[in-house]
Amino acid sequence: MKRVLHALPLAAGAIALCLGTLAHSGELQSPTAVLQDLLEKTNSLYLGQSEQNLMMMDDNPSLWTVEDGEELFHTARGPNNISLEECDFGKGPGVLKGAYIELPRYFADTKKVMDLETRLVHCMTTLQGFSSDDPEVKQRHGSDSDMMKLQTYIAAQSNGMPWDPQLDHPMAKAMLDAGEALFFRRAGTLDFSCNTCHGDTDKRIRASVLPNVNSPEEWSKAISWPAFRVGHQHTRSSQHRLRGCYWQMRQPGVIAGSEASIALLAYWTDRARGAPAILPDMKR
Amino acid sequence: MLSRKRASFLTRSIAFAAVVGLANVAHAEETEQALDYTAMTPEALAEHLLFETNSFRLDQPVQEGGVARQRLEQDEIQRACSNIDGAAPDLETLIKVREMAEKSIVYPDKIELGDWERGREYAWSGFGFRIGHNNDDHTTREAGGNCYNCHQIGADRQGGNLGPALFNYGKNRGNSPEMLRLAYGIIYNAHAFFPCTDMPRIGYKEVLNQQQIADVLAYLFDPESPVNQE
Ligand code: HEC
Ligand code: HEC
Repeated sequence: MKRVLHALPLAAGAIALCLGTLAHSGELQSPTAVLQDLLEKTNSLYLGQSEQNLMMMDDNPSLWTVEDGEELFHTARGPNNISLEECDFGKGPGVLKGAYIELPRYFADTKKVMDLETRLVHCMTTLQGFSSDDPEVKQRHGSDSDMMKLQTYIAAQSNGMPWDPQLDHPMAKAMLDAGEALFFRRAGTLDFSCNTCHGDTDKRIRASVLPNVNSPEEWSKAISWPAFRVGHQHTRSSQHRLRGCYWQMRQPGVIAGSEASIALLAYWTDRARGAPAILPDMKR
Repeated sequence: MLSRKRASFLTRSIAFAAVVGLANVAHAEETEQALDYTAMTPEALAEHLLFETNSFRLDQPVQEGGVARQRLEQDEIQRACSNIDGAAPDLETLIKVREMAEKSIVYPDKIELGDWERGREYAWSGFGFRIGHNNDDHTTREAGGNCYNCHQIGADRQGGNLGPALFNYGKNRGNSPEMLRLAYGIIYNAHAFFPCTDMPRIGYKEVLNQQQIADVLAYLFDPESPVNQE
């Protein structure tokens, strides 16, 4: 993360640029302001647990990832030498504003419910012609990966907007309901389900305050990915978070983009419905 | 000589077999491709997604032997305690869970306190049994009990609050044989006392063995243990 380290002194400039981008798309609030509004509304221990993070959020290194992603998104790339501007994230080709908060949703062209990462892979392989083994597609983690740059840029175009995953197609509803069953399903060495740790407010695992799935305000921050994880010094995705959850639960590794992962993301996004997204966020 | 009747029986049988065969193929294709997710219950779809859709690294070897798939297969207690919304199951189920748990507990002949210093480390450590990526390697390090994840125990280290604080546990409860037996049972399989509790079955699932549990008991009950010095 050399780059982020020497980028930090320049971050103020980056903010101005990024806010410029957001302002350009008609969205003026910064991720910090969205979080501050939520905090004022709830006084939640979880939302306020890291004062240091709150202070650093205006210099969130993920804002650089947004910028990198913007450039990549609009560049003609891949064997077909075409940009992602033709990619349909659900609101029509190239429409990014508010696209992320409506995912996962059902896509008629693939007849599948897809999350951001899966849809991005779909466009990079079908539109741009990358193969799924190309590093552009295969490398899913780290601020330096194309995948994280693109996801962070696309997601940031929904900052401050209320989560609103689309359920118009019955498949989307079926996946959401299965995701709910997965969320409450206890298994593994320690008998954990997601609900063991996320069913109540002000619960802690050691020192970490846990977000409550029943509080849309807390849950909105919990699912606001991509986010910069200070402990990892990288921008991380929803799929990366989910993988960590299963690891922590001593249950098998979940495969990014798999149907089970999308069912869980469909449920977890639905539980934040109506609360504003913080994109990109910053977490411990 | 083949009678006409018999010949026609044969052809009919062959034709029948062909039809059955085709039907089987069609059936297989149907289950492969056109399983209608919208016609399934959420639970049935969840099971399908878990085991049939290449969603997890099911074949990965696990620390206790066998493969990861077995970690996702629920036993009776896990299934009974997985209600949506985290709601408690009905009384009858709770009673059944309690009975199953009670029967599962293997008590030592005599419960003795082990070494509280070792017990303190087992209570603190959350190492062990993690899989998928960065698998915990039990040959280089023992698994711990995760107790501090959920309990405040000693005052010197911060614990979680999914379970009750256990400050002065031995000082408050005394260390009669009955009390030690109860605490041993809770650590072995807490569902015998709190059916559908969130507390993991540390003994039953072989997270800690009898000796290690005796060490943790010492941490909780030994008058010398910092737990009882608050
Ligand atoms: C044993 C406890 C435990 C279980 C079980 C658990 N989590 Fe978590 N979860 C945590 C902790 C602790 C964090 C905070 C991470 C950190 O601070 O490093 C967290 C973080 C999260 C976050 C992001 C919030 C943040 O602030 O970083 C989400 C979303 C989440 N979990 C969802 C889930 C889902 C979905 C499952 C089940 C598949 C699950 N969790 C299972 C303990 C748990
Ligand atoms: C995932 C959470 C979790 C973990 C890990 C955990 N516990 Fe618990 N524990 C609980 C909960 C919750 C209760 C309360 C029982 C209930 O009402 O369901 C409890 C209750 C207890 C009690 C009974 C308290 C009383 O009131 O007498 C003891 C003793 C105890 N735990 C010890 C331990 C020890 C020792 C470990 C580790 C080896 C441990 N626990 C690990 C959650 C946990």
